[in-house]
Amino acid sequence: MLKVIAACGSGMGSSQIIKMKLQKVFKKLNIEADIYHTNVGDAKSQANNYDVVFCSESLVGNFNGTKSKVIGLKNLLSETEMTAKIQAAGLNQ
Amino acid sequence: MIILLTIWEFFQNNVLTKPQFFIGFIVFIGYALLRKPVYECLAGFIKAVVGYMILNVASGGLVGNFRPVLAGLKDRFHLSAAVIDPYFGQAAAQMSVEHVGRSFSLMMIVLLIAFTMNILLVLFRRYTKIRTLFITGHVMVQQSSTALWLVLFCFPKLQDPGVVIMLGILLGTYWAVASNLTVEPVAKLTDGGGFATGHQQMFGIFLVSKLAKKIGNPKNSLDNLKLPGFLSIFNENVVATGILMFIFFGIIISILGPELMHTIDKEFVKNQNFGFYILEKSLNFAVYLTILQLGVRMFVSELTNSFQGISEKILPGSVPAVDCAAVFGFGNPNAVTFGFLFGAFGQFLAIIGLVIFQSPILIISGFVPLFFDNATFAVFANRLGGIRAAAIIPFFSGIIQVLGGGFAAYYFTTGNFGGWHGNFDWDTLWPIIGVIMNNFQYAGVVVVVVCLLAVPQIIYRRNKDTYFLIAEDYEKYKEVEAKKQGVTADEVVIE
Repeated sequence: MLKVIAACGSGMGSSQIIKMKLQKVFKKLNIEADIYHTNVGDAKSQANNYDVVFCSESLVGNFNGTKSKVIGLKNLLSETEMTAKIQAAGLNQ
Repeated sequence: MIILLTIWEFFQNNVLTKPQFFIGFIVFIGYALLRKPVYECLAGFIKAVVGYMILNVASGGLVGNFRPVLAGLKDRFHLSAAVIDPYFGQAAAQMSVEHVGRSFSLMMIVLLIAFTMNILLVLFRRYTKIRTLFITGHVMVQQSSTALWLVLFCFPKLQDPGVVIMLGILLGTYWAVASNLTVEPVAKLTDGGGFATGHQQMFGIFLVSKLAKKIGNPKNSLDNLKLPGFLSIFNENVVATGILMFIFFGIIISILGPELMHTIDKEFVKNQNFGFYILEKSLNFAVYLTILQLGVRMFVSELTNSFQGISEKILPGSVPAVDCAAVFGFGNPNAVTFGFLFGAFGQFLAIIGLVIFQSPILIISGFVPLFFDNATFAVFANRLGGIRAAAIIPFFSGIIQVLGGGFAAYYFTTGNFGGWHGNFDWDTLWPIIGVIMNNFQYAGVVVVVVCLLAVPQIIYRRNKDTYFLIAEDYEKYKEVEAKKQGVTADEVVIE
């Protein structure tokens, strides 16, 4: 089971969108994942307990020094971009 | 007959007037209709009820924390005050609604009717020219709350069914029309990202997309700028709110002075240091905001999920309108901070203006409008008008937010509970709608709805051939534009 955090500025809107799209993409790739969505501050303090963090490209800088993988997304709604980045990070292996 | 009446009375006393259970049952029924297993329906029910009850605790706390300061301002300067922020606005709207003895459950019914109205407008898009469905759940809750209070303020005698139907139509029309306006700007910014903005500054985005080109030159963009690193602490909600509140309440409470605060606020005990009292008071706002967001997140995530499902299933070819932060990734990272900063300059200047010109209401900057509205404007402005537009537009937006929000909090009396919605559309368009409703009553509502519905018609008439194409197939849209410009699809210039 892959443990995933989806993060955005306030933890209300965008992170929920990332989460909904990720659920679809992971299902298609046959990856079992548990996704939690929250704000950047919360995500930063909890990141090390998760395997991977997804957030907007503009927020990646907040996760400097985090041990887990951090994936920045340009288009939060693009399943194509998510699939490509998940595969590039080797999460499907 | 008597049995039926008893059942209805029981339902009314225990569910209809108790928003937490009402929302819980709506989620339960919704899940049952989606054929989810019973245990998941039950889990959804509990999460919705608990989420709403958390929200209640936080709204009460937010307003309660503010009360001694409001009392002090009234006592010493005959001033009222409001934080312009959608969460403070929601809490103030809820308190206003309950203060006149109406049930806040109405908010949820309004939301559902407005969402249905938006769906209908999209389904009949051949006639309505609406391409977008608004699915940002937490924003829908906030706007339903504030708009509910506006209608109760303007129509105090109108019965519940009339309130929810009229407002549902009005708000649903606004969601559809305003998010529809962002289709072109967002598609061009994101190179066909497949979404529109459904947030609190949609008319603002449309205005920016028209004005930015005239203000500056996109060649001088923010790319060459290096911003100081400490600004990144404002990326964190809790930190940013804490700092903002400490600045504002620090100044206000210091002016009121320790003696007055001792007599007004019983929680300020004799042996506590004044500075630490201010610090505690300011950070309390961050505490209640965090709790409020936790509550909203809990019952709204269920809502947004099902809205997204609906938008994909029954409305193919339509565009989902989502949170404004979805465009941040497509802008220059500097733009977000830049917009926040210049918005803050504008807001602070306008607030000083309010004090100098002895406005009857004092405005306190809230984080959400300051950051999300102005950052969004800066992203669009930078692309179309470069660094000059990205500075000037958020600066003026900040001024407008304070003046419009101040007017609204005063006119619609939510200043009594210390808040107003405060995002751009709610400092411009909605106060105007409110004033029209208050003065012209039902005729005013009809005029507003008709005017809103005319907007997509006007835009459609200007670009009949590509109006739907830009939303449905951006690559094809670019080909059409390329043909018009006489170049290949790779060289096409999209403004």
